[in-house]
Amino acid sequence: MSKKNRVAIVGVGYSDVGRATGLSLTKLTAQAGVAAMEDAGLKPTDIDGLVTHSFPNQFVSSTHTAAMLGIPDLAFYSGNVDGAAYSVAAMHAIAAIESGSAETVLTFRTVHKAGQGGETFRGGGGPQTIPGNMQLAMPYGSIAGPHWAGMYMTRHMAMYGSTEEDFGSFAIAQRKFAVANPTESFFHEELTMDDYLNSRYIAKPLHLLDCDYPVDSSSALIFTTEERARDMKQKPVFFDSWANGTTKEADFSLVEDMTHSSPWMASRRMWSRSDLKPKDVQTAGLYDGFSFIAMQWLEALGFAEEGGSGAFVRSGATSATGSLPTNTDGGACNVGRRHGANFFIEVTRQLRGTAGDRALPNNPKVGVVSNAVGGFAACALLTAD
Amino acid sequence: MTTEVSAPLPLPNELTKPFWEGAAKGQLVIQRCNACGHLQHAPEPVCSACLSFDLGSAAVSGTGTVYTFCIATQAFHPYFEDKLPFVIAVVELDDQPGLKMITNIVDVDPDSVRVGDRVGVTFNLLGEGFMLPVFRPIA
Repeated sequence: MSKKNRVAIVGVGYSDVGRATGLSLTKLTAQAGVAAMEDAGLKPTDIDGLVTHSFPNQFVSSTHTAAMLGIPDLAFYSGNVDGAAYSVAAMHAIAAIESGSAETVLTFRTVHKAGQGGETFRGGGGPQTIPGNMQLAMPYGSIAGPHWAGMYMTRHMAMYGSTEEDFGSFAIAQRKFAVANPTESFFHEELTMDDYLNSRYIAKPLHLLDCDYPVDSSSALIFTTEERARDMKQKPVFFDSWANGTTKEADFSLVEDMTHSSPWMASRRMWSRSDLKPKDVQTAGLYDGFSFIAMQWLEALGFAEEGGSGAFVRSGATSATGSLPTNTDGGACNVGRRHGANFFIEVTRQLRGTAGDRALPNNPKVGVVSNAVGGFAACALLTAD
Repeated sequence: MTTEVSAPLPLPNELTKPFWEGAAKGQLVIQRCNACGHLQHAPEPVCSACLSFDLGSAAVSGTGTVYTFCIATQAFHPYFEDKLPFVIAVVELDDQPGLKMITNIVDVDPDSVRVGDRVGVTFNLLGEGFMLPVFRPIA
């Protein structure tokens, strides 16, 4: 891939994060946006692009956000599109900058804890009628993410002989990083395999400890051209290559091959656009809405053998001193649900050397990030000079 | 106070109506393309195989194989709370490779279900007259 006109991450920021912050979606978004601009050393007048992808029914428009943050004029904006969690915003920003549609783009992912699907059905009342294709799933009790996630895990176990302990190994390895991240993590005790296996099932074989931790949060990142990035406050982190991938079935439960879903399509495309190889990657931020998702990415990206993600994790490869330190902030299972934005932020911090106490001993210059699974996915290779 | 909790009921539309009307008659009915014969589920306004809009439906064999499953142990909707644990599955139907549907596996110990099990359709009353096509093990 040509190294001309690369897009860089130049600012990152979080809102306050918590289980019950009492903060509105707009206030969370404003907090993250201000934090990212401060991190980058930029003013609202420096921003000419804005992407606010939010959870369904948790939409903060880009024009509202621009007005709130005093951004006077947008050359490019994009709102509530569907796709692979936070990466949708990142990919829109990159495409806008690569095309020349905008120069400096502020992106968001804002998530309210209360917005998770399950809680919306608890109100009681009379008969509930289900429109659209959801009527072909909900009457079966297939309602929430853990149901398709549990089915992906069962399929992996049937195809490869993987075990619950394999999935547990990832939760345990990830928690070690969380313990090393006391300011952002909600969990401060290491996990044992017994802790994992004894955590209650949500959708067997999926345990509670396979699930990310719902919080109120907003995450923001600022992207700009390589040329502009060179003059900014932070050391820039560049996109070497990035890619989306989808399956031909929209419904996550009905994809053709649950052990080779969209991460495989996105991974192949990403590697095809880069001179880098899996062995060059020194840290990873892999989406962990459910732990198996990160493990599917380890296989799809070529770090672990097909079906071998459990053995790979148990080998210590994803630990701080392993060949691929993975989810070094503790992942969304521990720092709370950021819909994948935390991985872009954490890998950026590691590559530019602002990870503080948890700076990796291998001083990484190449990292990979990923979002989502099933029907749609995205991944990117990030580099620092 | 105890109140009967209603099932989440389908709101049939032009596309899903044959599925629910078939179920009410004890048939598993899947959308079928009149132009190329492709079966598709979920039903859509266009055939994803040949892009024809000439779509009908067909009663299918009602037999298939468990592609995958999970055992629901948390309800996420009050109707399912007294039904836990139960099996949510994806069944691949015999009628066309890759033709799958979300369903339940019933009349079985949830822990005995395996990927690859042979299953056949049966129908459970969902509520308000709706019958739900579900599957149970067959030899």
